[in-house]
Amino acid sequence: MYGQAVTTRKRITSAIWALVVNTVFWIVIPYYVGVFLTGRVPDSALTVPTFVYEFGILFIILEVGAAFFQGKAVAVPMISAVALLTVVYIWYATNGGILGVETSGITLALSFRLMLYVLVLPSIWAAIRAPLSYMVWRRAMKAGVSSATPASPVP
Amino acid sequence: MGIWALRGITVAVALIVLLVIGSVVYSAYEDYSAVKAELAGGSQQAVGAAVLRGTTETVSINITVPNKGLYPLNVTISCDYPTSNVMCQRTSVDVAPGGEGVLRFRMTVFDISQFENSVSKVINGTVSISMTPFVGLTVGTDFGGFVKTGGG
Repeated sequence: MYGQAVTTRKRITSAIWALVVNTVFWIVIPYYVGVFLTGRVPDSALTVPTFVYEFGILFIILEVGAAFFQGKAVAVPMISAVALLTVVYIWYATNGGILGVETSGITLALSFRLMLYVLVLPSIWAAIRAPLSYMVWRRAMKAGVSSATPASPVP
Repeated sequence: MGIWALRGITVAVALIVLLVIGSVVYSAYEDYSAVKAELAGGSQQAVGAAVLRGTTETVSINITVPNKGLYPLNVTISCDYPTSNVMCQRTSVDVAPGGEGVLRFRMTVFDISQFENSVSKVINGTVSISMTPFVGLTVGTDFGGFVKTGGG
């Protein structure tokens, strides 16, 4: 991932690809899901919450940035930020692991706090792994350069 | 810490998540199927009865709760009524994986005529099912439908 030569053309292509994919995933699909729900159940309060779009815009910015700066140090905080934002998003979307609904005099409450901790575990690890991977690569590069310099005379 | 250690941790985290989610989904499906079969299969254990003695009606519900899943199951039934005319015993059963338990719920209406003539015949009840420690489902509903005039 790090240390590989990435051309500007590839950076732009990756950024455009990230922009298209994330826009479809975070804006287009939620919008049409909202239209579908409103059309099917007109009198219900079933709508896509605004926070989905707000989070979507943040995801798009960070994903496009991470794709554009791939292989560089500046991409590391963006990758971590996407992972942490995913944690916040999952927590927010599931109301902290307690979901409730009331219909026809019946109330249903689903509690899955511990399950939620497990669900966000990969994202938390992804947020930690990004800087660690970069540090490992940097250390390997330094060790490679310092050990290789005396033993690699220029022919 | 090398790159292989990081990859190892990533794989371990993915495995933990898959195992937990898979086992919880599997357990939920197995428990649901077992309870459904128990209630629909005409088991003599899953019965409810309303008995009227004088003005007092007693509703008894015995449910056999099988646990075919991988996690301990806890089922609790309780109810709440704003007047002193209805009394419910909060009852709970813990079922170990592979075992089964019997939940005995009893609700007493001391003055059935007063209950029948009351404006609201709603008895707020709660059924809690938890697959310890991961998932819990609480259903709040009206237990007033269990009370029948004249018992039976």
